[in-house]
Amino acid sequence: MRYVEEFRDAELGRALAGEILAAVEPGRHYKLMEVCGGHTHSIYKYGIDDLLPANVELVHGPGCPVCVIPMGRVDDGIAIAHRPGVIFTCFGDMMRIPGSDGSLQDAKAAGADVRMVYSPLDALRIAKANPDRDVVFFAIGFETTAPSTALTLRRAKAEGVRNFFCMCNHVTIVPPLRALLDSPDLRLDGFIGPGHVSTVVGARPFEFIPADYGKPIVVAGFEPLDVLHAVHMILRQLAEGRCEVENQYSRVVPYDGNLRALEVLAEVFELRPHFEWRGMGFISQSGLKLSAAYAAFDAELRYEVPGVRVADPKACQCGEVLKGVIKPWECKVFGTACTPERPIGTCMVSSEGACAAYYNFGRFAREREVV
Amino acid sequence: MSAGPAGPAPWDAAPHCEAHAGCITCGDTAVPMRVRRVDADRVLALCEDPEGRRSSVEIALVEPVAVGDALLVHAGTAIGRAP
Repeated sequence: MRYVEEFRDAELGRALAGEILAAVEPGRHYKLMEVCGGHTHSIYKYGIDDLLPANVELVHGPGCPVCVIPMGRVDDGIAIAHRPGVIFTCFGDMMRIPGSDGSLQDAKAAGADVRMVYSPLDALRIAKANPDRDVVFFAIGFETTAPSTALTLRRAKAEGVRNFFCMCNHVTIVPPLRALLDSPDLRLDGFIGPGHVSTVVGARPFEFIPADYGKPIVVAGFEPLDVLHAVHMILRQLAEGRCEVENQYSRVVPYDGNLRALEVLAEVFELRPHFEWRGMGFISQSGLKLSAAYAAFDAELRYEVPGVRVADPKACQCGEVLKGVIKPWECKVFGTACTPERPIGTCMVSSEGACAAYYNFGRFAREREVV
Repeated sequence: MSAGPAGPAPWDAAPHCEAHAGCITCGDTAVPMRVRRVDADRVLALCEDPEGRRSSVEIALVEPVAVGDALLVHAGTAIGRAP
């Protein structure tokens, strides 16, 4: 595929790093948040933070959908998975997220029929192949993933499938960003905007960041040069006293998003009054549920779910990591009690999670970061 | 990440995401795939990723597509066109 190697060119990367160095004001500390877990992953995988001047700090945002899922929702999913006759389907990362009493993987070991799928379409296929069983899909993700669930539900409805249900945990990106910007804990100078969420919603929904909060945001792609370029664009805006939404990833992201995707989202989902985020508490209008037209597919209406709110484990500091208040390695249990093999917190589970990304790619740079 | 037709069913494979490759389904990332066959009636296309793995992809958001087109695929759905 074209447009991959070009965006990993080491020579260009070094040149861009030089331009970034030239754009920073000596003595000023810059704190930029990469909203999306995909960017966190790229930053560690390619060692991007090693190319940045010491006074440009990247902090990780709440953009890993697996990481922000609260424990109570995992417990609710496990309760459904244990019902007789249910085939429970979910994405791979989700299987290892700890609930208050084990994960979906543990539920599978205990006899529940939990199956990993790569897409909601796979889950629908399982439903069609097992008409005498209820097949539940644990839907999770931001606006990048929500259209996939929505299209699958629309397909299930059109095909008259009656044994397919969705436990909807989809979330939207703007409300948590607003919550972060309203939080007194953080002093951010700018944002690297999520590339593939923006493929769906466009760059326009982020206009509130410069308009209401006076901060720049640059929507960026996921290759190393994309991220470096975005950092440079943010620093340029700051140096020139501008703050606006810029689209670094214009080769993919239309400013207005994918209108067909927005249409199907509006048809299939509606906003919940509030939804709980791990470590961030309840955020108004930040979660999606199935609309009245799709109520017949709603697993939460089909089954009684406990709906219990479970506090995060005491030792776990995922909340602070998700808000960018602390670095992953500053958590008390990072790399000791909490590892990708035996995670305590969600951030250590998904490869997009800041802790897992740091553990897998960045833990040896720790001393440098401390200084 | 994706199991081929001859391999074990995906739900039998170890539930483990490749940390080095990133998780294509649940992160905010999409992978470029090339269209190999189009089933316009069912709004699906058989697509192939750069490693040669094939899967059915929902194409409602990017229609019309033709064999050879490059799509950005996330969780089995093409959310855009790859450049």
